[in-house]
Amino acid sequence: MIHLSHITKTLGATRAVDDVSLDVRNGEIVALAGENGAGKTTLMRIAAGEIDADGGSVNREGRAELVHQHFLLVDALSIAENLALTHRGFRFTTRRIIEREASAIIESTGIELRDGSRLVAELSVGERSKLELIKAIARKPSTLILDEPTSVLTPNETTELFRVMRRIAAEGAAVVFISHKLPEVLEVADRIVVMRGGRVIAESAARDTNVRDLANAMVGRITEQPSDRATAGRITAIVGVAGNGQAELAAKLRDEERDAGHIPEDRTRDGIVAEMTIAENLALKAKRWNAREAARHAERMIALYSIRASGPLQRAGDLSGGNQQKVILARELDRKPKRIVAAEPTRGLDIEATRFVHEQLRSAAVEGASILLITSDLDEAFALADTIQVIYRGRLSDPLTPSEAATRVASLMAGVA
Amino acid sequence: MRRFAVAVIAAAAAIVLLAFSGALFGHSPWSLLSIVASGSVGSRFALASTLLKSVPLLLTGLSVAIAFRAGVWNIGGEGQFIVGGLAALVASRFGIVASLAAAMLAGAAWASIASAMRLWRNAPEVLTTILLNFTAIHLLGWSVNGPLREHAGQYPQTDLAHVALPEIGGVHFGIVIALAASVFAWWLLYRTAAGLRLRATGLNPNAARWAGIRVGAQLARAMAISGAAAGLAGGIELLGVTHRLFERFAAGYGYSGIAVALLAQLHPLATIASSLFFGALVTGAGELQRAAGISAGVATFGQAVVILTLIVFEHVRADR
Amino acid sequence: MYELIANSIPIAIVASIPLLLAVEGELLVQRGGIINLGIEGMMLTAAMTAAFAAQTTGSVTIGFLGGIAGAMVITAIFGVFAIALRADQIVTGTAINLLALGGTSFVYREVAAFQRPIPQLHTDIVSALSWIVAPLILGAILWNTSFGLRLRACGENPEALAATGRSVRMHRWAALMIEALLVGIGGAYLSLALSSGFAENMTAGRGFIALSIVIFGRWKIKGALLGTAIFGLAAALQYALQAANRGIPFHILLAVPYVVTLLILCGVAGRVRSPESLGRP
Repeated sequence: MIHLSHITKTLGATRAVDDVSLDVRNGEIVALAGENGAGKTTLMRIAAGEIDADGGSVNREGRAELVHQHFLLVDALSIAENLALTHRGFRFTTRRIIEREASAIIESTGIELRDGSRLVAELSVGERSKLELIKAIARKPSTLILDEPTSVLTPNETTELFRVMRRIAAEGAAVVFISHKLPEVLEVADRIVVMRGGRVIAESAARDTNVRDLANAMVGRITEQPSDRATAGRITAIVGVAGNGQAELAAKLRDEERDAGHIPEDRTRDGIVAEMTIAENLALKAKRWNAREAARHAERMIALYSIRASGPLQRAGDLSGGNQQKVILARELDRKPKRIVAAEPTRGLDIEATRFVHEQLRSAAVEGASILLITSDLDEAFALADTIQVIYRGRLSDPLTPSEAATRVASLMAGVA
Repeated sequence: MRRFAVAVIAAAAAIVLLAFSGALFGHSPWSLLSIVASGSVGSRFALASTLLKSVPLLLTGLSVAIAFRAGVWNIGGEGQFIVGGLAALVASRFGIVASLAAAMLAGAAWASIASAMRLWRNAPEVLTTILLNFTAIHLLGWSVNGPLREHAGQYPQTDLAHVALPEIGGVHFGIVIALAASVFAWWLLYRTAAGLRLRATGLNPNAARWAGIRVGAQLARAMAISGAAAGLAGGIELLGVTHRLFERFAAGYGYSGIAVALLAQLHPLATIASSLFFGALVTGAGELQRAAGISAGVATFGQAVVILTLIVFEHVRADR
Repeated sequence: MYELIANSIPIAIVASIPLLLAVEGELLVQRGGIINLGIEGMMLTAAMTAAFAAQTTGSVTIGFLGGIAGAMVITAIFGVFAIALRADQIVTGTAINLLALGGTSFVYREVAAFQRPIPQLHTDIVSALSWIVAPLILGAILWNTSFGLRLRACGENPEALAATGRSVRMHRWAALMIEALLVGIGGAYLSLALSSGFAENMTAGRGFIALSIVIFGRWKIKGALLGTAIFGLAAALQYALQAANRGIPFHILLAVPYVVTLLILCGVAGRVRSPESLGRP
């Protein structure tokens, strides 16, 4: 059980959580829905005691476990060793003891994960997320919080996860499910809380609401329909569950097609040089460098791509995620490359920035570029692409039209077709 | 401005700590400080010898600054300095220009052994450059005892080089070359596309690779330029100061370059001021050894204190 | 030639003891994610404090304790910067080496005790300690204790360990102090058993060779022992060749250990996987 009242939290310049009160009772599954940046994860990190709130009070009964969206596993260790890491105190032990204990723990959680001696590095993404869940449940929390757990799962794995969630709740724990996928939210939750801009916007029992109402609450207006396709058949989307070889494909194309525009998946790690200025980041692909010319060019780009920045000499690392992505777009697209490879170009962006990125990709296609869009967001693929291919364990399916894809994509993503 | 203040405080801290360590062993800190001051800047002669020490420090400092800016751990300045001196001596019969060019080439080639090992075999350059230092030291030892030993055969040293750098008021022409090199390094790093790529690689190699920069080539290039600077330092030291080679020719200039560059916060122009400070420190420490019998190794100790003090201040700044 | 090799083996075993202890200590801290480049300076400091303690008290045992104490003090300085202040480990290590190099040469000339005779080492338990006992204990720590498991997690993904509520820093500190213990003994052995007292810069790059052997041995104890044995034999052969005076110039032979180490690094480094978070502050 958790009881949050009047929680506020400021991160940097933004108020991430703004006067939020929330109760989650034992035996209940509550979904926390909202766009990226709505404050869901921050609120739940406060609830789990990972970070402190600036104001308001937190009451917890028993321990709360937060399963993060990114894995906190050690790849070079086995499943059993990862589970043994949570063990307290000093002791002598052997591989065999650790593995025996691990299989007992796994069994007690009722989740299926075979052979505890396997290295985490060899596990599929779905298996890794199961291991994270086992780690959390094994600590017998009275509140279990799951942050976007389904984003890396196949439909079957999602069903299995929901079964586990229901059982945990039935055994008396409080369960919080953070997600922006509304059909899933409606399927599993008893109660749904929608956040936007750090505040709770709507709250209702699952049976009293529907996808359309929730979506409108989430974005604050009627959602737009995908625009007409005038892209001349030039956008191909590669979809799949994360970790099926997308990153390797993007890296291979980066090294092979050096003249193409490349938008990397991880923009803080691979996209920008945080310590350099916007002007310098924009000039990384230029043949020549002249500080004054580069600043003028950067000013043009800032205007053209509506980058919110104090000027061309601002550190790129100080920009918001959306504006960093615009800097990358400006660098990669402004040269009008014939080919563009965009990996997860809207991950973590708010709705406004997402729309901007989509417009840029569409207009590049209209102007004649051929675009490869690698994405785990099916909505994005269907909104943009003329052709869809599914990637599963490093292999690409045959090209599908969007209507063919609509029926076959789920099974292809799970590797069952 | 704050970065300048930090550097000055770090330098001052080093001096204070040196005097304090001297006091621990029964010396008067004030007399130590006055020996260091008079020995490094107290007279025309002292000033000239400080300048002479600053020249190689400036070049090895630039060597380190360029490498570290590109994210390459070149700890091999000492070895590159030595092979620079060796090449300069061998090529000195062809004139000053050829001799210094040979020094740069040799330094670059020696450093490139490390980048080749890194690119082909993924051997960490921080270790290979250090191991190449020891190799170079023994190569020099063999040269001055064997093939390059002076014709008189009396001492383990070479004959005089065929040419020498011209002098201006007690200081050889190398100072002009070193100053020009630091302006060149600044221009290269901050005014050219090649420099932009080097710096981007140093700051974030992943992003550099995604922006189409060949990261391996940047590493090789930075290492070669860095080695050339250290090699040039060796060549200038030979033609301007020692005029011959002997076993202790390098005298730690390569390692000192690390402290010089870090105090200058890896900025090529600030390296000029930083090399003057360390030049004075080394000269003053030499005077300590003569006048008070204190090991000139205190200059090395001072370099370490400067680096550690800088880390503390950077931490304080990062915390805010 | 055969005789030369056979005669070199006992020399190799004894002469490579300081190196081996350094390899073992460095292996442990690198498993925990720290590159301690300052190990050269640690050993040099230990060699000096050991000689000082032995020469002032006349006791070898106190000499070894002095070496350990010296290594621990300078390791603590490294730890404050590299762990507590999260400074760059390579820069910190370089500074530690300069600190030790300058500091020891300064102190050496200031202190009269270094002129006194060095006490004789009668029973040598250090060879057994470094070649048999320490590898067994370190192997047990790394692979058969909860501490070792967590230390390895520190080297691979410190965030994962931190998420279980354990302190990454405390594990790294513990590993560093074990390294200081080993390097302290190694430094003491260098100045008390392998030479007659302290000499300036007497470690001659052993710390850096140790780092290379850790890579060669793929961060495994067996590999570390094998690497040290190969290196030690090459070095001992070089001594034997010097003694035999076969016309190979002395200075070329002196360069052999470093060239061998370079070749070792090239021969193997390309194929190994280092701990994932090695060197990240």
